[in-house]
Amino acid sequence: MLPWTRFPLIVVAACVALSCYGARDASGQSWPTEPVALLDGRLLLAADASLTYGTADPGWFAYTDYATDALRRARAGLTLEVRAARWLAFLAEVRAESGSGVRPYAWYVRFTPDETGLVTVQAGRIPPVFGAYARRSYPQDNPLVGDPLLYQYLTTIRADSVPASTDDLARQRGRGWLVRYPVGNLGAYSGLPVVSSSRWDTGVQGRVGTQALEAAVAVTTGTLSNPLVANDNGGWQLAGRAAWRPRPFLSVGVSAARGAFLTAEALASRPAAGRPGRDQQAFGVDVETSWDRWIVRGEFVANRWRVPPLDAPAITDPLGVRAAYVETRVRLRPGLYVAARADRLWFSSIRTSSGETTWDADVSRVEVGLGYTIRRGLLLKSSVLSHWRDGGRIRRDTLAGIQLLFWL
Amino acid sequence: MSATRSTLLTSRLVRVLAAVVAVSMLGVWRDARPSAADGAIAGHVEIKRNRAAAEERPNVASLGAPSVRQPEIRPAVVYLDTGPRGAFEPDESARATMTQRDQTFVPHVLPVTVGTTVDFPNADLTFHNVFSLSKIKSFDLGRYAKGLSKSVRFDRPGVVQVFCDIHSHMRGFVLVFAHRFFAVTDVAGRYRIGRVPPGSYTLAVWYEGEVRETRPAVVPDAGGDVIADFVVR
Repeated sequence: MLPWTRFPLIVVAACVALSCYGARDASGQSWPTEPVALLDGRLLLAADASLTYGTADPGWFAYTDYATDALRRARAGLTLEVRAARWLAFLAEVRAESGSGVRPYAWYVRFTPDETGLVTVQAGRIPPVFGAYARRSYPQDNPLVGDPLLYQYLTTIRADSVPASTDDLARQRGRGWLVRYPVGNLGAYSGLPVVSSSRWDTGVQGRVGTQALEAAVAVTTGTLSNPLVANDNGGWQLAGRAAWRPRPFLSVGVSAARGAFLTAEALASRPAAGRPGRDQQAFGVDVETSWDRWIVRGEFVANRWRVPPLDAPAITDPLGVRAAYVETRVRLRPGLYVAARADRLWFSSIRTSSGETTWDADVSRVEVGLGYTIRRGLLLKSSVLSHWRDGGRIRRDTLAGIQLLFWL
Repeated sequence: MSATRSTLLTSRLVRVLAAVVAVSMLGVWRDARPSAADGAIAGHVEIKRNRAAAEERPNVASLGAPSVRQPEIRPAVVYLDTGPRGAFEPDESARATMTQRDQTFVPHVLPVTVGTTVDFPNADLTFHNVFSLSKIKSFDLGRYAKGLSKSVRFDRPGVVQVFCDIHSHMRGFVLVFAHRFFAVTDVAGRYRIGRVPPGSYTLAVWYEGEVRETRPAVVPDAGGDVIADFVVR
């Protein structure tokens, strides 16, 4: 039987071999560059695969959960679109990733009632409306090897386990990859990123607008940091985004989201007095501008989680985090670009028995990389990632990674 | 004495060179200009599996449906594999246009002769970024807005596939020929290569990145039309 954890590696190897085979002719221009269209265009198939290898990350700066190092993974995705009618389509993506096997990443129906596409309703496991980066999480849409900290870095917040006091919280500063709290699930596991780009939420989303101005709203079972398929706390998240493109070279978006992120089990294990906090709230701004061979993107997100105040010194204030990144990509010559991203997370302060501190360790990253298109659909990226953190076992580390990416 | 001999030699050399140039020009003149004996190769290309417009890659990350685009006309190109000798002089001033409209390259296939400069105007409201990684001609025109145009001069023969960096479904071809004996099929699949000097040639049909068929064709000394129909499967 095929071991599913090895499946992505096999797919990547097959894709690379196929691609090299297709590159035999001098110009390599006969290699397919379009998705596979079947049944008179009613069924579309596309695929992507990536293989990333980097230096060891003992500080866990680039992990997306306890088991997955973003700098050492193989990933393969198969995307499918079934156009049942002009106004109805079904879309799905199945991803195989080293360490986590095969899983459905997205699956939803899309209703487009009017021909102009002014209104769209999507229901199922849907793309996030909040922010910008999570919707360009295909590796080919990311000019670098690493993801922005905002969408990847593991904080010390967990959905199924709660710190009883600020002291519990402070003890875990800078070690979001393996967090243990005394309330709820007592096992050690990784914390949550501010916004997850590796999983999508389930619910209904509506969008209205044109190329110049659009707005989208979604109601989902999970939250930005903890997207879910099945609701685990009876609460819902409401998220929205408005985007304005006054000129082709400029796009500005504002986003907001609020939802219950703590599991019902975590809340029930130590009932708090009054109405316990359990929400994640976030507000974000994203900007993209481009001209000639340049693209510059940036996002700022102010986020806060509320957890119930239990033991003294109690966590009475929301646990805030502000996140920002700016990235740029410049194409130097056909097929070759250089890119860079500066990233930072700032955490709010809490008062512990031993004084005031941030509830998690502030962290920064500067990533610089190169990308070279070997042929259409085959991209080689490399990056150097420098990290600084105000806490944890390892406070400074520089990593390097290389990624081979294939897509059809 | 030696000065006189030298003058005579110089004078003879100039006359010989002038004669060579005149003969060469006559040769080019005779081949390049249509003569009464020149013929034409014409016919019809039937495409059994017509490739429709490139579909946008299914994108699960999109909040809305992709815009509906008109079907793209994807013609074939019929050409002489090797043109008549001396029949072509590169025209440095030749220009052609491949427009970016409704997120497609119009025309989808643009055959040109070596030395032609192709303009790539953007007629859409969105940015486009035309590029090619072809070994014949690699270029990257960067992003530019509606109403603007950038140009590329094609100075080597071959097939150049062009893409848009922003819209992955946009794909076009520039076919650069070392001679002028080529024709693009019309909507009905018809083509006509005119002013072909008498001789034996190899006729080739190119469709969507590949030469699909080659066959011999003979234009008789008396000229006239030679009919060659093709079926591309």
